[in-house]
Amino acid sequence: MSLPCEQLDLLVIGAGPAGLCAAYEAAAVGCRVTIVDENDKAGGQLSKQIHRFFGSSHHGAGKRGIEIAEELFGDCLKLGVDVRLSSSVLGLFSNGEVMIDAPTQLCLVNPGAVIVATGASEKSLAFPGWTLPGVMGAGAAQTLINIHRILPGSRVLMVGSGNVGLIVSYQLLQAGAEVVGVVDTAGSISGYQVHAGRVRREGIPVYLGHRLLSARGSTGLEEVLVEAIEDGTVKRFEADVLCLAVGMSPLCDLAAMRDCRMVYEDALGGLVPWHGADMRTSQSPVYIAGDASGVEEASVAMEEGRIAGISAAEDLGSLNSGEAAERRAAIAKRLDELRAGPHSRGKLAAKERLYAR
Amino acid sequence: MQGKTGSESWQEVWDKSVNGPRALIDCWQEIPCDPCQEACAQGSIVLSSGICAPPALHAETCNGCGKCVAICPGMAIFLVDRSIGSGLARVTVPYEMRDEIRLGGEAWAVDGEGNYLAEGRITRVSGAGRPGRTMLLTIEVPEEWALKVRGVRGRRKLLEEPEEVEAIEAVEDFAFCRCEEIDYSRLREIITQGEFRSLPALRRFSRAGLGYCQGRFCQSILRSQFLADCPEEDREVESFRVRAPVRPVKLSRLGGEDG
Ligand SMILES: Cc1cc2nc3c(=O)[nH]c(=O)nc-3n(C[C@H](O)[C@H](O)[C@H](O)COP(=O)(O)OP(=O)(O)OC[C@H]3O[C@@H](n4cnc5c(N)ncnc54)[C@H](O)[C@@H]3O)c2cc1C
Ligand code: SF4
Ligand code: SF4
Repeated sequence: MSLPCEQLDLLVIGAGPAGLCAAYEAAAVGCRVTIVDENDKAGGQLSKQIHRFFGSSHHGAGKRGIEIAEELFGDCLKLGVDVRLSSSVLGLFSNGEVMIDAPTQLCLVNPGAVIVATGASEKSLAFPGWTLPGVMGAGAAQTLINIHRILPGSRVLMVGSGNVGLIVSYQLLQAGAEVVGVVDTAGSISGYQVHAGRVRREGIPVYLGHRLLSARGSTGLEEVLVEAIEDGTVKRFEADVLCLAVGMSPLCDLAAMRDCRMVYEDALGGLVPWHGADMRTSQSPVYIAGDASGVEEASVAMEEGRIAGISAAEDLGSLNSGEAAERRAAIAKRLDELRAGPHSRGKLAAKERLYAR
Repeated sequence: MQGKTGSESWQEVWDKSVNGPRALIDCWQEIPCDPCQEACAQGSIVLSSGICAPPALHAETCNGCGKCVAICPGMAIFLVDRSIGSGLARVTVPYEMRDEIRLGGEAWAVDGEGNYLAEGRITRVSGAGRPGRTMLLTIEVPEEWALKVRGVRGRRKLLEEPEEVEAIEAVEDFAFCRCEEIDYSRLREIITQGEFRSLPALRRFSRAGLGYCQGRFCQSILRSQFLADCPEEDREVESFRVRAPVRPVKLSRLGGEDG
């Protein structure tokens, strides 16, 4: 098979907050930027989020996720970024070529630099009954209600009291489902108190120190058994949907394929491509940003994206080193502030370990 | 849920609310969030030390405009107004649910756990019918509940408690990798008894993750099972081989027009 190979300057993979900010930053200093995303809409996770985003107002917090996505996308279009949607990247090869499954054909491109901003994928759990219809990831449930406008069921049990579990519980309730509870093995709520507050005041109980035993049903989910870890008592919940919000792991198979050195960091969600504070990976000219470099939040993804965009622009010769370093330092300061809270402590430490390696 | 956020105590909100509505902020963790500070034109909300500091309210200058209530993504700000007297208070809450709630009608005021506090009249509804906006509802309740109200709901039926059942003894076996039909017990046997100290080796031998879905379903659970069962000293977690295509693609596309 031989395909014609198109020459590009900077290719950004993923049009989530990280990718869009990376593209913007590089385009702003004169790089010719192409951004691809397998979705038919730009925005990544943001375009599924109908809730007001928490985070810094500097990053659009207080607005709804979809609105932030539209703004970032609009900014990129204004700078003439070449946006290719409904295009999946299938491979990143060691000769530098990238294979893209575009709407009309498969194509190869050869970019001068690549920023991988592919986000994260949901983790799962295996337990008796996990293959029953009705057992799904929280992200899948969220896509059903917010994108397809379909309610996956009428009674939902949520596993995981992190922010994703809490936010999706709330959205399921808004969409008209009954949420019979949130279950977590941990002894305290792992998400933010304010998100838990929204859920609890709606009368949704949070069962801490409880473990999922099994899901049962004949043709679909009918009931879920949950065990109190301390005394072994078992509760039976009638439910037709069991949502799993048990964490995300960085989606970095493309970076791994390109032989980027991978490092395991539990706090960041699992394997991540090694990277420095400048978002350069072990393979030049490949950069990483956003959830793909460690699962955090949208504000962080945006700042990391900007840094990656600046580093790529520097290596492509659009920005001199002094200027690039200065810009990165200003952003690094904002990142430090975003990561100052106790919830980010583990992630911050993991990032610092990476930078030091 | 102590009545203290930042440097101001709720007591002060209580005191000042005899003159009109004042913001009550129930946000006390250090989280990276600041739209409330940005929204307040009075400068009454201050994050003292960077974006992770909990917001502090200056009840003295707060005029009860409610902008912060509408923008707070944590829905953690409320207004308390005791100026109407006769033992009543008006509490304003952000609202994004779909219960039938009408101006002048009655609704339930609930606390932070969703427990019923009082039934009260809805005296103000703002932001209704504007898509993408949080509604603000004001409910009249006995003064004693003023600092406790966290939500308003229609007379919805409450959840029943889950039933307690007898513990089940044996855990049934189940499919771990659906595509290659590998059971959970078999996989654990392979991990604990085998010599596979890296995920790629485990995958190759067990075939878990090599079926049609290419690990989409079982990749993350395979990894956590491996981490749980394989002794830490000699396992290799960082090796990772990926081949194109990382997304399923029609063979005809790879092979040209005539497939
Ligand atoms: C339910 C939920 C609620 C959240 N709420 C908040 C919040 O309130 N505040 C906050 O700060 N954060 C929130 N987050 C987190 C936030 O959404 C993420 O941290 C952020 O979106 C990460 O940005 P990203 O650009 O790295 O990845 P993403 O937004 O995931 O974007 C990645 C993009 O890459 C594309 N892609 C992946 N692989 C390929 C490929 N091979 N080819 C082509 N395209 C590809 C994807 O289609 C996607 O569009 C929430 C997350 C969830 C799940
Ligand atoms: S109610 Fe208005 S004045 Fe008072 S803190 Fe909120 S935004 Fe500021
Ligand atoms: S906007 Fe709401 S959640 Fe964010 S800091 Fe202010 S009070 Fe807390």
